[in-house]
Amino acid sequence: MPDLAAAEQSETQFAELVDAVAADPVRQEQLAELLREDHPFYSQRGGAAIVRMRGWVLLALARTGVSDRELPFVLEEFDTGTDAYLVAAAARALRSYARPSAAFAPFVMRALNNIRDEPLSFEGYGEYPTSSTDTTPVRELLAVLAWLGPHARSKLPELASLRAQPGRFCKKLIAELDRTVAAICGNRQPEADQTDDCCTTPAHLGQEWWPFHERKGTETVDSIVFEDHDGTPIRFGEFFKGRPSIVVFFYSRCDNPWKCSLTVAKLARVQQLFKERGIYGQVQTAAITYDPVFDLPKRMREYGRERGLQFNAQHRALRATEGFDALRSHFCLGVNFIESLVNRHRVELYVLDGAGRVAASFERIHWDESQVVDRACEVLRQDAAPPVAARPSFGGQGQVTGTVLGTLASLAWAFFPKCPMCWAAYLSIFGIAGFQQIPYPSKTHPALLAVMLINIVSVWFRARATQRIGGFCFVCAGIVATILGKMVMNWDNLAAGGIALTFAGSLWGAVNIRQLQFYLRRIGCNFG
Amino acid sequence: MAGKTRAGRKLKMTRKAKRTREAVGGGRAFWIATNKQKTIQERVSALAHVPMAVGEGDNNLQAVLGVLRDVKEPIEVRLAALQSLQAASFSVVAFESSSGDYRATLRNIAQDENPELRERALSVLAQQKDGFAQKKLLEGLQNPQKALVPPQKALQLLSYDVHADAYKAARAIVNSPPNPVAKSEALRLLSADATAAPMFEKILLDKSESRENRQLSASALHALDPEKMQTLARDIVLDASDYDDIKATSLTALTQFGDNAAFARDQTLRKSVDLMKTRGSDELQLSASQFLSKLEA
Repeated sequence: MPDLAAAEQSETQFAELVDAVAADPVRQEQLAELLREDHPFYSQRGGAAIVRMRGWVLLALARTGVSDRELPFVLEEFDTGTDAYLVAAAARALRSYARPSAAFAPFVMRALNNIRDEPLSFEGYGEYPTSSTDTTPVRELLAVLAWLGPHARSKLPELASLRAQPGRFCKKLIAELDRTVAAICGNRQPEADQTDDCCTTPAHLGQEWWPFHERKGTETVDSIVFEDHDGTPIRFGEFFKGRPSIVVFFYSRCDNPWKCSLTVAKLARVQQLFKERGIYGQVQTAAITYDPVFDLPKRMREYGRERGLQFNAQHRALRATEGFDALRSHFCLGVNFIESLVNRHRVELYVLDGAGRVAASFERIHWDESQVVDRACEVLRQDAAPPVAARPSFGGQGQVTGTVLGTLASLAWAFFPKCPMCWAAYLSIFGIAGFQQIPYPSKTHPALLAVMLINIVSVWFRARATQRIGGFCFVCAGIVATILGKMVMNWDNLAAGGIALTFAGSLWGAVNIRQLQFYLRRIGCNFG
Repeated sequence: MAGKTRAGRKLKMTRKAKRTREAVGGGRAFWIATNKQKTIQERVSALAHVPMAVGEGDNNLQAVLGVLRDVKEPIEVRLAALQSLQAASFSVVAFESSSGDYRATLRNIAQDENPELRERALSVLAQQKDGFAQKKLLEGLQNPQKALVPPQKALQLLSYDVHADAYKAARAIVNSPPNPVAKSEALRLLSADATAAPMFEKILLDKSESRENRQLSASALHALDPEKMQTLARDIVLDASDYDDIKATSLTALTQFGDNAAFARDQTLRKSVDLMKTRGSDELQLSASQFLSKLEA
């Protein structure tokens, strides 16, 4: 729930709060909190207001000093930022970090290549200069490279190439670029403990991993109803349980090419890697929209396809038709809204285990596709054989009993007819099977046929929703065999076979096989 | 081999001569454009030829930016300078290094006394989703005394950025429009607001509403809630008392995005559209023909 007091405060009040927090050494840690996209302060603000507010927090960090806690927020601006003010403020903030690292250089170069230069003012909150100033994003980024000094040496060829581009920089900036290159090439050598290569420091930046037994349950989201890219409804519990999944969030109206568009394109690459590693059928992917009201199935389908995403029953684009707030709170999504529209979001990807629980997350900094696939493989292995530490001790009988009872309850729940359609299925089977025992079977035939019809329709709807038509085919074959056996050929064995087929098909359609497999694996694990 | 070398040399010389001609031409035009002794006509005419020269060096660009910023310059010359710089920003690679100065100058002249210059500067800035321009436009909508452009123009410019926080202001204008054009612009802006579907449904069904607004509502509703639009479009097509242009829009929606199989079974709709093929406005007849030919395809 948004904090109304925060949401109702003016931008000026926010700026005063940031200044007060930055000036108080005890409260300075709160600055990182103020950069979280889901902070109530950012609720119901326009995009430009959010830029001004976040920029002010980054400038406060430049005064207090950036720690490891705030580093992802700063590097995120270089990685995916498109706003000159935020990139420049992040550049100023980074220079307050305790030690320069070669790992920062690729981020800075990326920003230097992406950003358009413009005059900025950091003097007062929300100021826009109306004449040339000495503060520009390119100058701030060059200052970061100069601060990195010898740690940025690997980027000298790229800088030379930028310098050679006609019209890329004005004369003043070229002079500044030359000074930056001189600072990088200077005699100073990286200190012994700073001789890192470009991939050491932030390799796991923005990544988290939860051990098997510390993962959060999905009770609050199991009943969330999604609609996929084809308009097929499916619940969270139905789709995400049974196999590990990779989940990304996006919205089709995102105007930042380095965020949603790139995220979905990278998800397509992940699908490709699944194929190359032979796990395409074992791990699912889902692209869930932040903007479920606007992103209708057709929009999601086109958006995904244009970026190379493949869709089928295991790989879907989803919009929450009910319960988006619960989903937002379950994943702690880094997103905020103005009315129904996203006003700011981070890049985020989650690896879910076979029980739909979050096992790993990649946030803010763009993830490497191979790393994501590695994580998915790890989760896949854990699901097949959960960690030994997870096994309950056999001395604890109560614990074993609890697990067995829980598993049996799950199976009972799976087999228990939960809706009128399921009742119809069971009635059709037991009704046909009891033909011989009913005193006046001919009078009951129409009723039983009607029940069979209801069953076949219910199985069809179920098959369409889950995109598994195997059960439906079994039921059709079973009903045909039963009718032929009972009414035409008078061959009881055929009828019995038909009943068995109908029963199997109905169960196949009603039970989530993957979920069942998962529970069976749990039984196997608990007993040895 | 020798022939090849001669041809190469000739081509090189031709290119050099062309470059020199262009430089002299651009230089001359640039000199006239920035020369206050020349007539307004001459300077405006010269400014039309300077976009290439503008990108040839920082000094040229700064001189034209100076003309644009200078409130003592005739407004015709300043407008021509703006046009010239805008053309250069599209066509000259070298302009990139000075784009920041250009943006700062645009922010400066967005508050100029001349309304046309203000509007054109704000247009360029709004297309770049500039925070300064958005802030000024929103301030003007909330407080008309501070408005730099008329409300309809402000709404049009704010609609370039879906994240511009303009929905609240647009809704206020729909409820209490200062003029009919402003209301239409507000509706156009709100057509990206996913929660506005019920409002568009109401306007579409309101026959007392202007036809332009009803058409806008039809296309907005189609984008926001296509299923609802399909139902309403059928009702409108069957409504004998509704206007031909609204029916034509509804028929187009059905033709483009409707369920053909369902329409093929819908005899009532088919009969009505058959009649429209020969009666009604040209636009309606055309829409009816397209609908029927798609049905028969």
